[in-house]
Amino acid sequence: MRAGLIASTVGHLAILLWGVIAFPDARPFDVPPVDSLPVDLVPISDLTKLRKGEKTAELREEEAPKPTEKKAEAPQPDAKTGDAKKEQPTPSVPEAKNQPSKAQPTPAPTPPAQKTPEPPAPKEVAEPQPAPQPAPAPVAEKAPTPEPQKVEEAPKVAEATPVKVTPRSKPTPPKRTQTARTEEKKKDFDTTDIAALLNKVDPSGGGTQASSTPASLGSDKGQSNVQMTQSELDALRGQIARCWNPPVGAAGADDLNVRLKVSFTQGGDVDQLPQVMNSSGNPSFGIAAESAKRAVLRCAPYSLPVAKYDAWREVIINFDPRELLGG
Amino acid sequence: MTTVELAQSTVAAADSDISFFSLFLQAHIVVKLVMIGLLAASVWCWAIIVDKWFLYLRTKRQMNRFETVFWSGQSLEELYKTLANRANHSMAALFVAAMREWKRSHETAKPAIASLQQRIDRVMDVTIAREQERLESRLLVLATVGSAAPFIGLFGTVWGIMTAFQAIAASKNTNLAVVAPGIAEALFATALGLLAAIPAVIAYNKLSSDATRLSGRMEGFADEFSAILSRQIDERM
Repeated sequence: MRAGLIASTVGHLAILLWGVIAFPDARPFDVPPVDSLPVDLVPISDLTKLRKGEKTAELREEEAPKPTEKKAEAPQPDAKTGDAKKEQPTPSVPEAKNQPSKAQPTPAPTPPAQKTPEPPAPKEVAEPQPAPQPAPAPVAEKAPTPEPQKVEEAPKVAEATPVKVTPRSKPTPPKRTQTARTEEKKKDFDTTDIAALLNKVDPSGGGTQASSTPASLGSDKGQSNVQMTQSELDALRGQIARCWNPPVGAAGADDLNVRLKVSFTQGGDVDQLPQVMNSSGNPSFGIAAESAKRAVLRCAPYSLPVAKYDAWREVIINFDPRELLGG
Repeated sequence: MTTVELAQSTVAAADSDISFFSLFLQAHIVVKLVMIGLLAASVWCWAIIVDKWFLYLRTKRQMNRFETVFWSGQSLEELYKTLANRANHSMAALFVAAMREWKRSHETAKPAIASLQQRIDRVMDVTIAREQERLESRLLVLATVGSAAPFIGLFGTVWGIMTAFQAIAASKNTNLAVVAPGIAEALFATALGLLAAIPAVIAYNKLSSDATRLSGRMEGFADEFSAILSRQIDERM
């Protein structure tokens, strides 16, 4: 027995010693470092912002290319031509070119006839109280009759005049040929003149091609800063919901969804009678649709942000008897 | 110091304290006693296991040797003479006890043969009982440790967790780094209990079956020897 006891004691001591050596202490777990997750706080208006585009276009991820915007036209001369402290810049050249093109349709431009009525106008312009909106055209037409009183006006206006005069003279020749040709056609048709006829076609100015990418979903008035935030839509929804008495006892309320197309005036009034956009086989759908229309009409005018009129000018509102959802 | 750093430093502090000895030293006195008791039980169990293991091996070897000698055709008288003076165990002891009774009954002036057979059987029964007692002694300790040690360890664990929760309540902090050492230290008691119980149970089953087999073998020999002696007695009557 003693041998067994000794053996056992020795064995236990050995195991304890081994335990102390093999498991000196618990190793800490390897905790994988947790990557921090970047979180951005985005205002809701960024998500609900209306893009510039067409209302009927499909929703796409990419924004359609923005149309090239003309720079704001040079300050209109309506800003006090007479006693301007600063120099007035010349009216932009393209405007001058537009005028002749507009002038072309007029049957026979008789330059002297136009000039004769003009002279009184420049005098008014030169007077200390300038006319509210002297269109650039009259100014250009004044130019041919240089008047000493216009010293106050910027000399650049005078410089612009020759440019404008030249286009005016150009359009006349083609018209003469055209009239001449029609006369010729009436008389007799000569096939050899076809080439000459084709060549005489007026060279068109550099127009721009339509963009090949379709327009994106958005507002057709095209102010990209027009945005109707979710909260504003909710506000509209809330205003309508207040006046809506849904058909409470109607059977089968599940398919009583009424979609109304409502157009508003800028003041928030309902423009025309709301149109029902959908239909249902439910016999009480008519009642529901009427109640929805009544609700829209009764609560007018609505207080909506005028700056965003473009966004709520025409709205489709979904009247769900279970829950009013705006669209 | 931010809370994260604070937690890390506590964890680091707790880390260094989870070795075996520090677990033992940190424990409550009751848990300490339980651990010491379980360790002692384990030592004692293993002592018994080792002891019995060698005893059974030895006994088996002796039985084999005796049986070869016994069935070799050697004279029983001579065999008795060689064995009588030694301290014998198992089969040899059985043989010597029976032969001694045989001799005593014949060596007297009036041989008492009438109930000699019964006397020899009884002597051999007593010897078998003694030998069985010798073989199976202390096996009950193994059985007891095997069944009780887990409960004792569990008691230590429950006590340790109790005190750990009290300490946590007092420290007013439920951080895992605070909770863990107390629970680890408490669980150590259960680990020790299982460590003592598992070998004890396995060894008890093995050793008790061995002991039963050995005593069965002795009973078989006793029956055979009793039959031989009975034949001798009947021939002499």
